Amino acid sequence: MRTFEFTNRLRITLLAGIILGFLCLALTWFSGTDDAYHTRFWSNLLHNSAFFTMIAALATFFLAASITAWAGWYTVFKRVWESMGLFLIVGFCLMAFLGLSTYLGWNHLYHWNDPASVEIDTILQGKAGFLNKGWYFFGTLVIVGAWVFFALRFRSLSVSEEEQGADDDFKVHRKTRVYAAAFLPVFGFSMCAMVWLWIMSVDAHWYSTLFAWYTGASAFVSMICLTILILQYLRGKGYYENVTTEHMHDLGKLLFAFSIFWTYLWFSQYMLIWYANVGEETGYFYTRINDYPVLFYGNLIINFILPFFILMRNDTKRKMGSLGFVAVIVLFGHWVDYFQMIKPGVDHTAHEVSMLHEGGHDAHTKHIGHDDHDHGSHDTAHAHDDYGHDAHSDHGHDAHGDHGHGHGGFKMGTTIPGFLEVGTFIGFLSLFLFFVFSALGRASLTSAHDPYIEESVHHHV
Amino acid sequence: MAHNKVIYGLYNDEEELLRAVKVAKDKHLEIMDVYTPFPVHGLDPILGLSESRLHIAGFIYGALGTLTAFLGMTWIFTKDWPVIFGGKPHWSVPAFIPITFELTVLFASIGMVVTFYLISGMGPGVTNDYLDPRITDDKFCIAFDEHDLDADSASSFFRETGAAEVHAKHL
Repeated sequence: MRTFEFTNRLRITLLAGIILGFLCLALTWFSGTDDAYHTRFWSNLLHNSAFFTMIAALATFFLAASITAWAGWYTVFKRVWESMGLFLIVGFCLMAFLGLSTYLGWNHLYHWNDPASVEIDTILQGKAGFLNKGWYFFGTLVIVGAWVFFALRFRSLSVSEEEQGADDDFKVHRKTRVYAAAFLPVFGFSMCAMVWLWIMSVDAHWYSTLFAWYTGASAFVSMICLTILILQYLRGKGYYENVTTEHMHDLGKLLFAFSIFWTYLWFSQYMLIWYANVGEETGYFYTRINDYPVLFYGNLIINFILPFFILMRNDTKRKMGSLGFVAVIVLFGHWVDYFQMIKPGVDHTAHEVSMLHEGGHDAHTKHIGHDDHDHGSHDTAHAHDDYGHDAHSDHGHDAHGDHGHGHGGFKMGTTIPGFLEVGTFIGFLSLFLFFVFSALGRASLTSAHDPYIEESVHHHV
Repeated sequence: MAHNKVIYGLYNDEEELLRAVKVAKDKHLEIMDVYTPFPVHGLDPILGLSESRLHIAGFIYGALGTLTAFLGMTWIFTKDWPVIFGGKPHWSVPAFIPITFELTVLFASIGMVVTFYLISGMGPGVTNDYLDPRITDDKFCIAFDEHDLDADSASSFFRETGAAEVHAKHL
C-alpha cells in the first residue's frame, strides 16, 4: 500500500501556520489588548488546547467504538483516526502546561483557583473537593496520560498487525479489541471529568449534568469535519484511491446525524434550565444571550440549521464540494461553540478576581447572599456585585441594572473572536495537521492485513 | 395487468438473481418486474430504476407537521386559550419545540406510509394477485411478460442463468 509523503512544501505551509498562531497568541499577551491577568491570552490557549485535545480524544474514542462494534467500513482510512489520536501527545503537553500554570497560579482562568474568592464563597468551598488545583493538574496528567497510552497502543498494534502479515487467528486484532473495549468505559467517565475541570469549571458556580456530552458531541462533529477535510485533501493529492464516495457519504451521514445530536443536547440543556428557571442555573444562559447574542444564535445557525438543510439530501453528502463546504463551516462553528463556552466564564472570573484583589477591603466580612439578585438564588454566585457597590462603584455598572453580568461592554477577543483568535485557531489547526500528517507519513495509508479490509474496500451504501 | 400471461423464474439466492438480471440487461430483455423477500443491495442500479420521490413527499409532510404544531400552539396559547404556565410568556418557543419535533416526525412518517401504500396499491382489505407466495419468504423472482418475451426464450434464459424453477401464470 502507498505511504503518504509529507512534502517539504506542506511542511513549510503548516509551519508558517504554526508560527502565525504563535505570533497571534504572543500578541494577545504583549499588545496591551489584554487585562492585567492576561485573560485573553490564557483563555485563547485553553480554548484551542482543549478543543484540539478533545478532537484527538474523540478520534481515538470513535476508533475504539468502531473496533468494539465489529465495524468495517472505515478500515481503509483508519490510519487517519489513529494519527489524529496521536495528537493527544501534543494535547497532553498543552493541557499539562495549562495544568501546571493553574497549579502555580500563573493564570486566573478559574474562579475556584483564587484562594481569596474561595475563602468568602460557600459554593466554591463546597466544590473544593473536586475543583482544586491538585485535581486539575494531576487529574489531567493521569487521565490524558491514559488516553495517550491507549492512542499509542491502537497505533502500534495496528502497525504491528500489518508488519506481521496475514494471520488466520487475527491475534493482533483480538488484542486490539481488548484494548478498545477497555478504553470505552475509561474514556466515557474520564472525558466527563476532564470537560468539567477544563471547560465547565470556568463558570465555577454553575453546573450542568449534560455539559460533558454536549462538549463531547461538539468535539465529535469537529473530528468528523476534520476527517472529511483531511481525506478530501489526500484524495486530491492522489492518495487514498480506495476511499470512495461511499466512505465520504457515510462520513457525511455522521456529520449530519451528529450535528442533530449536538443540537439535541444543546436544546436539552437549554430547555431544562429555561423551564426550571433556577437562578444559579440561568446565569449561564443569561450572560450568553445578553452579552453574546451573535455567538449564541449564530452557534445554532451554523451548527444546526446549515448542516441540517444542506446535508439533508442524498446527493449533497456525496458531492465533495457541498460536503467540504459544510465541513469547513461546521468545524469553525464548533470552535466558536467552544469559544462561547469558555470566554464568558473566564471574563467573569477575571472581573471578580480583580475586584477582590484591587479593593474589596470589606469583602471578607460580607455575606455572599444578596438581594440584588433577582434570579432567585440565595447564597450563590456572582459575589462581585457586593464589592462593586461600595468599594468600587467606578468599576462600571449598576448591580441592580444588569444582574451582575456584562462587565465593561464589548471586548474584542472576549465578546467575539477577533483576528488574533482566528490566527491562533489557524496556528493550532496547523499544529494539529502537522502532527496528523507526520504520523500518517510514518506508516502505510491503509493497513493491508486488517481483517475488515475487504469489507471496507467494497463498502457500498 | 389483467389477462397477461407472465413467465417467471425463481432463484434460491440473491447473488444468482443479481447475475441473472445483469444477463437479461445485457441481452436487452424486457423484464416485467423482480420480486425479492427483502431489499437486495445493488439491484436498483442494475434494473435502472429511477430514484424514489417518496423522500420529497416525506419532507413536505414533515414541514406540514412543523407548521401545524408551531402555528397551532401559537394560536392556542396566545389567542384561543392563553394560560400562564410557570410564569412563562404565552408564546414560549422553547416549550413548543419538543411538540413541534414530535408532530414533524409523526406527519412525515404517517404521510410516507400512507403515500407508499397508495402508490403501491396496498391497504387494509385490498387483495393483490401474486406470482408465488414464496417470494415473500426465500425465493427471488424475475418475471417476464409474454408480450415482451416468448415462452421459449424465457425458459432458455432461466435455464442458462440457473433458475431453480420456471412457471407461467395468468395475472
